Amino acid sequence: MVPSFGLVRYYVGRRVNRLYERTSWAFHRFVGGSATLHHGEYEWLEPESPSQVVNVVFVDKDGTRRPVRGKVGDNVLYLAHRHGVCMEGACEASLACTTCHCYVDSEHAAKLPPASEKEEDLLDLAPFLRENSRLGCQIILTEELDGIELTLPKATRNFYVDGHTPKPH
Amino acid sequence: MSHPLTGCKRLGLRIVPASRFVSTSVVADIKECSAKPYSKVPGPKPIPILGNTWRVFPIIGQYQISDVGRISRLLYDAYGDIVKLSGLIGRPDLLFVFDADEIEKVYRQEGDTPYRPSMPCLVKYKSDIRRDFFGRLAGVVGVHGEPWREFRTKVQKPILQLQTVKKYIEPIENVTNCFIDRMVDMRDENYELPADFDNEIHKWSLECIGQVALDVRLGCLDPGLSHDSEPQKIIDAAKFALRHIGTLELKLPFWRYFPTPLWAKYVKNMDFFREICMKYIDEAMKNLKNKDSMQEKDLSLIERILITEKDPKIAYILALDLILVGIDTISMAVCSILYQLATRPAEQETLHKELVRILPSKDEKLTAAKLNQMHYLKGFIKEVLRKYSTVIGNGRTLQKDMVICGYHIPKGVQIVFPTLVTGSMPEYVSEPHLFKPERWIKNNESNSNSFIHPFASLPYGHGPRMCLGRRFADLEMQVMLAKLIRSYKLEYLHEPLEYKVTFMYAPEGELKFKMTERE
Repeated sequence: MVPSFGLVRYYVGRRVNRLYERTSWAFHRFVGGSATLHHGEYEWLEPESPSQVVNVVFVDKDGTRRPVRGKVGDNVLYLAHRHGVCMEGACEASLACTTCHCYVDSEHAAKLPPASEKEEDLLDLAPFLRENSRLGCQIILTEELDGIELTLPKATRNFYVDGHTPKPH
Repeated sequence: MSHPLTGCKRLGLRIVPASRFVSTSVVADIKECSAKPYSKVPGPKPIPILGNTWRVFPIIGQYQISDVGRISRLLYDAYGDIVKLSGLIGRPDLLFVFDADEIEKVYRQEGDTPYRPSMPCLVKYKSDIRRDFFGRLAGVVGVHGEPWREFRTKVQKPILQLQTVKKYIEPIENVTNCFIDRMVDMRDENYELPADFDNEIHKWSLECIGQVALDVRLGCLDPGLSHDSEPQKIIDAAKFALRHIGTLELKLPFWRYFPTPLWAKYVKNMDFFREICMKYIDEAMKNLKNKDSMQEKDLSLIERILITEKDPKIAYILALDLILVGIDTISMAVCSILYQLATRPAEQETLHKELVRILPSKDEKLTAAKLNQMHYLKGFIKEVLRKYSTVIGNGRTLQKDMVICGYHIPKGVQIVFPTLVTGSMPEYVSEPHLFKPERWIKNNESNSNSFIHPFASLPYGHGPRMCLGRRFADLEMQVMLAKLIRSYKLEYLHEPLEYKVTFMYAPEGELKFKMTERE
């Protein structure tokens, strides 16, 4: 009853693999516009030219400023992961949680595309909501966001009563 | 952003008990020490030997305790914000939490592999009967811990991302158009739909889920299906699941100990679904090989998964999970929503006006942009789900000890969040008895005094284990309402129906809607 997976897998896998290699770049950039298929890989690539660089400052919940060099197309959540910033992202940018909640400085907040209804609905569930709240996983860097300052709220999900620091997933 | 007053309420709720947010272990210690012991949690006294099992025969999650809607209301009235049902034979204690702040706390502390108890039949089928097929990564329903997270990670982005979901507007609109044509043909001389119209809604949702999970039109809406045709067999299998899973899980759970005849049928039924999934996914795989464009924008959900996952089994199992949980949940919600529309003429008119504005001509095609403008329509759906929540509640098994409502709750206890009750509590929702779709519309003037606690009505749950199919459920319901109410008026001219829990909360009885074409 169960077909021979090995054979099917080999055959399809080979073909798909080839196609995937050929088009993986396209995949990375066109999936969702908000995140990559293999999430977080793109953010590990270095910018190809200086014009691609977008400087970002993360401000930790204890006020520490962390300047980071990002690039056009980076997803803020995965950029934070790359640089060890405590932005959690429990649902892996699938718009199911608020653990990447952050505040955007007013100058750059206006340059972001407005939040989708789903993002707004989720922000309603975020602790310490403010007017400039956004979900990090929905922010994709562009040239005009150079200098953007993202402040992490006091808590995103856990109350941290035990001092636990959540790991990125 | 969010409605200012909802925001105020939200901020207010958080500022007052600020100590909860202070990041010091001191607070935790104080809380731990002052917390009352678990044994002091109020609740009905278990009867010796029988325990509390006689009171309820429970399953939490996908299917609810029979009559849990009524029971949970009674428990709240009798015992307050937190109620323990202990002494349940062969299962952990159930803890009902009616405090939205505490519900929020549980959701926020659940970690990255929340445990959601559900569907014991399916668990046995996957992990025991057909263990060889399912293996370690057995899907998302009834799976927990790391295997759950691994599987979910593989599939959740395409399933939840709006970009993929958007591609299904057209296919679902086509299915829905077909269904509406069929509705028109089904009417009697009084323009009323047949008594078993709910069956037809099930077929519609089956056809929709076929599009999403298998990339195929199953053909369940074709008129005059012969009894041995594949679509009819699929309909029968879905019907079997709908009718008998409740029995297996609630009334006759003896299959846990030995294979009963009904259990044998269940296994056969599941095998049939599994074969259907494999057949169509294999076809999708062949089509994929002949596809010219491998750009994401040209790929379906299943194709995206087939491309990233070298093992087609992931797609088989995902399709099976989607089908098993995506038929009756959505169709019962649609039954409920249509009944509410038919019995609320004023709200239906408001909805119709909105639709005429966004879709000037009747046969205008839906787009994501147009759906985005349908605020009243979405508010209506949310309001039905708040007041008549199709799922009575959600559930989590605690993975570590916690203090809830001032009591020390040990890990392993099953927490129940009864959305149906909390969504109507005046502490969390202003004027909860009123049916007001507007309350969900942001920046609406009439909302100046209204508030909703964000965790009071969460029909899809929240966090890493949020309903995986929610975007498709939303889309299917929205398309159905938009297409139907744009062109037709729905009335219900019989004795009012009562809402009951069979295993979901829905109006019980004949949905003989009168359906007339609008000018």
